[in-house]
Amino acid sequence: MAIAIERSRVSARRRNRYRARRWIGHALTYLGLAAALFFFLGPFFWIVTTSLKGNEDFFAYPPAWIPTPPSLAHYAALFTRSSGARYFTNSMVISSLSMLAALAVSLPTAYSIARWRFGGGFLSVLLLVLRMLPAIALIIPIYIMYKMFGLTNSYLGLVIIYTVVYIPFAVWLMVGFIRDFPIEIEEAAMIDGCSRLRALVQVVVPIIAPGLAVVALFAFIATWNEFLFAVVLTGIETKTMMVLVTSFTSGGTDAFYGEASASVVLGVLPAFAIAFILQRYLVKGLALGGTKG
Amino acid sequence: MKRFTLLASMAVALVGLAVVGGLWVSPAGAQRPYEGQTIRAVVNAEYVKYSLSLIEKDLYDKLGVKIETEVIPLDAFVPKTLLEFNSGASPWDLVMFGPSNMPDYGRHFEPLDPWIEKLKLEFYMDDIADVYKKLMLRWAGKIVSMPYDGDVHIMFWNKTAFERADNKKKFKAKYGYDLAPPKTWRQWDDQSEFFNGWGWDGSDRKLFGAGASYKPSASGFSYHWWRARFFAYGGQYFDANMKPLINTAAALRALEEMVKTMPYYPPGVLLFESEEPKTMLIKGEVPLLYSWTSTGKRVGNPAESLIIGKAGFGLVPGAEIDGKLVHRPSMTPGRAMAVSKYSKKKEVTMKVLEFISLPDQSLKIVMDPKTIMDPWRVTHFRSEKFRKSFPGADEYLDAIEKTFPHVVPDPVIPGADEYQRKLSFEITEALARRKAPKDALETAFGEWEKITDRRGRDKQKAAWGEKLAEMKALGIEYHPDWAAKAK
Amino acid sequence: MQIGAFALKRKQWEPFAFASPSLVLIALVIVFPLVYAFYLSLQNFDLSVGPEYEYVGGKNYVEAVFQDQRFLGSVWNTAIIIAPSLAIELLLGLGLALLLGRVIRGRPIITALLAIPAMVSPVMGGMAWRMLFGVKYGAINNLGRQLGILDVYFDWFGSSFISIVAVVLVEIWHNTPFMMLVLLAGLQSIPQELYDSAKVDGATAWQSFWSITLPLLKFTMAVGVMIRLIDLTKLFGLIFILTFGGPGGATETVAFNTYLVGFKDFRMSYASALSYVIVGGVLVLTLAFLWVQRLREARAG
Repeated sequence: MAIAIERSRVSARRRNRYRARRWIGHALTYLGLAAALFFFLGPFFWIVTTSLKGNEDFFAYPPAWIPTPPSLAHYAALFTRSSGARYFTNSMVISSLSMLAALAVSLPTAYSIARWRFGGGFLSVLLLVLRMLPAIALIIPIYIMYKMFGLTNSYLGLVIIYTVVYIPFAVWLMVGFIRDFPIEIEEAAMIDGCSRLRALVQVVVPIIAPGLAVVALFAFIATWNEFLFAVVLTGIETKTMMVLVTSFTSGGTDAFYGEASASVVLGVLPAFAIAFILQRYLVKGLALGGTKG
Repeated sequence: MKRFTLLASMAVALVGLAVVGGLWVSPAGAQRPYEGQTIRAVVNAEYVKYSLSLIEKDLYDKLGVKIETEVIPLDAFVPKTLLEFNSGASPWDLVMFGPSNMPDYGRHFEPLDPWIEKLKLEFYMDDIADVYKKLMLRWAGKIVSMPYDGDVHIMFWNKTAFERADNKKKFKAKYGYDLAPPKTWRQWDDQSEFFNGWGWDGSDRKLFGAGASYKPSASGFSYHWWRARFFAYGGQYFDANMKPLINTAAALRALEEMVKTMPYYPPGVLLFESEEPKTMLIKGEVPLLYSWTSTGKRVGNPAESLIIGKAGFGLVPGAEIDGKLVHRPSMTPGRAMAVSKYSKKKEVTMKVLEFISLPDQSLKIVMDPKTIMDPWRVTHFRSEKFRKSFPGADEYLDAIEKTFPHVVPDPVIPGADEYQRKLSFEITEALARRKAPKDALETAFGEWEKITDRRGRDKQKAAWGEKLAEMKALGIEYHPDWAAKAK
Repeated sequence: MQIGAFALKRKQWEPFAFASPSLVLIALVIVFPLVYAFYLSLQNFDLSVGPEYEYVGGKNYVEAVFQDQRFLGSVWNTAIIIAPSLAIELLLGLGLALLLGRVIRGRPIITALLAIPAMVSPVMGGMAWRMLFGVKYGAINNLGRQLGILDVYFDWFGSSFISIVAVVLVEIWHNTPFMMLVLLAGLQSIPQELYDSAKVDGATAWQSFWSITLPLLKFTMAVGVMIRLIDLTKLFGLIFILTFGGPGGATETVAFNTYLVGFKDFRMSYASALSYVIVGGVLVLTLAFLWVQRLREARAG
């Protein structure tokens, strides 16, 4: 009898200690995550508030962390004096076209690899190697070739290079999707008289569409963020947002703080939008390096 | 009665509308010869684009032309534009460029004389200040461009710092001579040491000793600061055999002094381009700065300057050689405007060039503090409007004119941009203490030799020979003994 | 099944036809330029001098590897940026992944928020941090002064050391989320039963971490590190906007230096040679890494 009571008292104490430790564990976890959020998102918060500040707030000390009153003057200036609308459009158009082209070209290739093991291991290795290729190795010959064909300062030029550079990654992701897709459904469609291509487009694509959407969005972000090709190959009409931001570095960023911060806010909008849309796919897609060109 | 009033008021309204509408459609419409045309200009900074926007309304009213301006940032400007030109084409009509790069750009520009004849253009050539006439107009004997921005370095100081009795006493006690705006580099260094780290304006803030631009971007800021000392100590770019003289005793002394005095300059100086030290000067945070003359306009700008009427303007310090003062302020880089040879709108662009060079239009540009463009016409310096635009403006303009006899131009030879960039890079390496000054200059020497070899030693030697003679005529030559003698 | 096999055999050209658009594009836009670049690297094409050029064999490569102090300096810079970045990204990413693994409610949203820095361009991130580092008006210095840590302006790019620190800091900010996601994926693939049975056996959290989590994560960590390593050798946009290689050449990376040579000095041939040296270096690095991995796996049996 005594032993039983002893044991229950002992286990009660142990339970309390365990609960306390668990509570501390939880608190620390959330504290750690809060600190992480402060570090990783803090800069964005500051950039957004800076883009809304007037001169008295930006140059004030003690620093004014929240602008009062906030003003959209810098955005207005960005869109008028610095042609922000045009460059935002450029980025939009180029990224959208590259994304669509990459999808259109990569899907059949991925199908080829998934269904027929086209190219054997060689192709897969080649694609992997191409992913590792630094853009700097390509930029010089591409620049010379583009100058010869008049492709500099054009949408087409950038779209071509972006599409091709993204193919290896798009193919890699899509091979996985297609392999997971049961072949019987395609074969059923083909028995009904479909050509393989039609089977692919009308049967497979609608079902793997969510996966394709993920690949598409990652392609969009990768091309939106691309810098080296953009800075070398674009001109006044085709500058992208990434190149626009570099024009605010002369004279020290203090002089153009308003437009610099406004252009950053616009330049990271797609990232924020896509992060929210793709919350659940982030682990898979980003982890495989989907947002790097 | 009622109907009459109604009809009468309608008639009045209609007439009024017609008048307003007629005015709206702009009366000068009939006289605008190039109505609806747009030309493309390329410039190397946002503030140049801004300067063009100052005259665009008048330009449109007079000629009906609009300018679409592309800004290529400073660092990429020369390479990107030259790359375009060298490939035999260019998307621009009006080209802004740095005159020191004339040897590389000149052959892509359309000579002005035939057009002056054809269109009866008037550029008021006699009104251009001499130094700019010599530097900014010609290539291979032909006139191909007009000045746009006259850049020389002058010295600016904060009068409060120098006139406070307390400061004067402290300085005399420590250094043994009277506190006055520096005439030699030794005085400048003493004073930047003296002023660093306390409130020389009577406050309790921690202020700094002097301002400078030490970033090696574009054709190199840090090197412009270095060469004022280098030439004062008897330096020259190359000797007659195209051997670089940038690793001689004069060069070393100049660089070592700069490295030693680094602590007296504000944090961030290694990344300062032209505007940051000017901002510090006009906010009263540094008492001394030598920099481009556009600083003066910012000094006098009530929207941002705290030292209006309290600033002094003068000659950049020099060195005392055998009892005489030798000053060698830099004339660099300046800006000029030219018409591209490959332009399909040469006539319109020539008219635009004429327009923006007109004395009153160019005065507008060089007077505005936000344009950073500097006066280059004689009438700019004598303009009553300019001389009265802020307290001290007349002293400021006089100081510029007094500087002209002493200026040292850039090395105006093919590859100028690359030579200057490589040297400036090494100078900043030494200032950042990544290399010893001697090593930095030796590396720069090696880089200069490489450039000369790549471009063809004989060709470079010939081009340099001309410039050497021109500089000699201005009194600038290599003096190996000065480095040790200079006080 | 028979019908399927029949359908497969019928059109031999189909696989090729499906893959051909991308293969053609890759051949034209990647393979051909690479070959052309190699050809160029054996000439002395220098646009600043003129459009003509001649064959010089391996001269550019010799110069790059043995004589070009600035390039070798950039190799060193790249190395000292990569080492701490990689190490800290791994540690921090692991820590964050573990923390996230303990959270059930709100995990998707917190993950999405933390992932954002990895999804913005290094140029945008670099510009934001450049302003944060601003000497007089930057948030960091202002915060420091408000908290009393700093008493006068601090120059984040005043010396080689500090500017490398600044670059590494921004790099870590930019890419730790990536490592975190990779490791999170790896963590989620470890079966919960292993932990449960360990707890029954009386293991503490620390012990199960060491003996279950780490070993099973090794492969994922290796993949993550290798991808980051290769990406770090390409470091360019961040440098361009944050420091432009400065002060002096303190933060010039190999890719940045090559860009300067090709697009500021116009030395196209030499720049091509440099880029091949870089590719060669990355190849060697990757092979070395894989070899070390294989060794360790063999030893672990």
